[in-house]
Amino acid sequence: MAYHFQIIEDCLRCTFREQSLFCDLSREALLHLQNIKATSVYPKGALLCLEGQSPRGVFVLCTGRAKLSTTSSEGKSMILRVAEPGEVLGLTAAVSGSPYEATVETLEPSQANFIAQTDFVRFLQQFPDVGLKVAKQLTHNCKCAYDEIRSLGLSNSVPEKLAKLILRWAENPVKLSAKKPNETALRVTLTQEEIAQFIGTSRETVSRVLATFRRKGYLRVKGATWTILDRRALEKLVTT
Amino acid sequence: MAYKLNMNSTPLHSGTTNELYEMLSPALRAELARSERSTVVPEGTALIQQGVCPEHLVIVNSGKVEVSLNCTHRSPSLDYAEPGKVFGMRAMVSGELPEVNVICTEPCSITTLPRDVFLDLLKNNPEIYFGVARVLSTDLQIADQILRNNSHRSSSGPRTRPIKTV
Repeated sequence: MAYHFQIIEDCLRCTFREQSLFCDLSREALLHLQNIKATSVYPKGALLCLEGQSPRGVFVLCTGRAKLSTTSSEGKSMILRVAEPGEVLGLTAAVSGSPYEATVETLEPSQANFIAQTDFVRFLQQFPDVGLKVAKQLTHNCKCAYDEIRSLGLSNSVPEKLAKLILRWAENPVKLSAKKPNETALRVTLTQEEIAQFIGTSRETVSRVLATFRRKGYLRVKGATWTILDRRALEKLVTT
Repeated sequence: MAYKLNMNSTPLHSGTTNELYEMLSPALRAELARSERSTVVPEGTALIQQGVCPEHLVIVNSGKVEVSLNCTHRSPSLDYAEPGKVFGMRAMVSGELPEVNVICTEPCSITTLPRDVFLDLLKNNPEIYFGVARVLSTDLQIADQILRNNSHRSSSGPRTRPIKTV
């Protein structure tokens, strides 16, 4: 098997549907979705859409994760958020008809269902539960953006921002068999450069702060697996 | 000062352009117009308050309003919205409490639609969701633009374009 997940072609049989932000739809809507979506599997690093590109449609991320990045007013690359399975990507562009707001790049091998723009708009207008899910997804994205803006206005230190990010990731920990009960393991697929783009600092600063966290015994880093050893210490860093 | 509906207000004509109505059919606009009320509110009126579930959808017809976020220490201003902007949509469709404050910075003419009427109409006319999604998309685009403009987020130096605080 080239990818470490099972490809889900039938939305009606998808076992992850109920946990997902978008896909937990009525049977009628799911049957319609089956007819308008095209399933594809992408390797890590695949670009689903590019910032500034005319919208072709939306991608429903079925498995894997993808980063949404944009170019700042200073010309730097910045990560807006990391999308999780069940999110619809390219939504604002498909709805408003304006170019894609962000570049979407897979962070790991992923499956996504593509729906052409016209089909998606019709789907949204035809099924109330789809409309509601879209509204909830947009509300969720807006809330994430407002949280980011809040932290911008508060001039947090880099250790605080990094601690906050790690604690946010810890809300979805991976299950490790030999884990101590007070430890939380995370699978981090972002590079230090990408983490820097996420929290608005340099890669060197991320590297330095991470080294401090490890030295102080807050965190253990082994490849893509990060283990939180002292959660309280990280929480103490977060003042806002 | 929180917004209260003036009962002597008059319905607004359904032809008025706003970001929600421009996506709707004339028949739906006419239906919504039956429940509309329009009024003029003074400067300083809070059209939407953070953490308070709005009773009405609010459409700004004229005048200027300021949208701000409450933070622990400051209230960063997100945007100055102008005529045609619709407020209260996020709270109305998702059931979540508003995260922003919307305050009139000058006397404003507004139109309101009762929440129950709007939600009923939405339930029976799913095509309105496209308009709803357009309104929410605009809010998200504004928020993302603020993030872009303030991307120099390192604490080690000043931002080139600081977030305005009120």
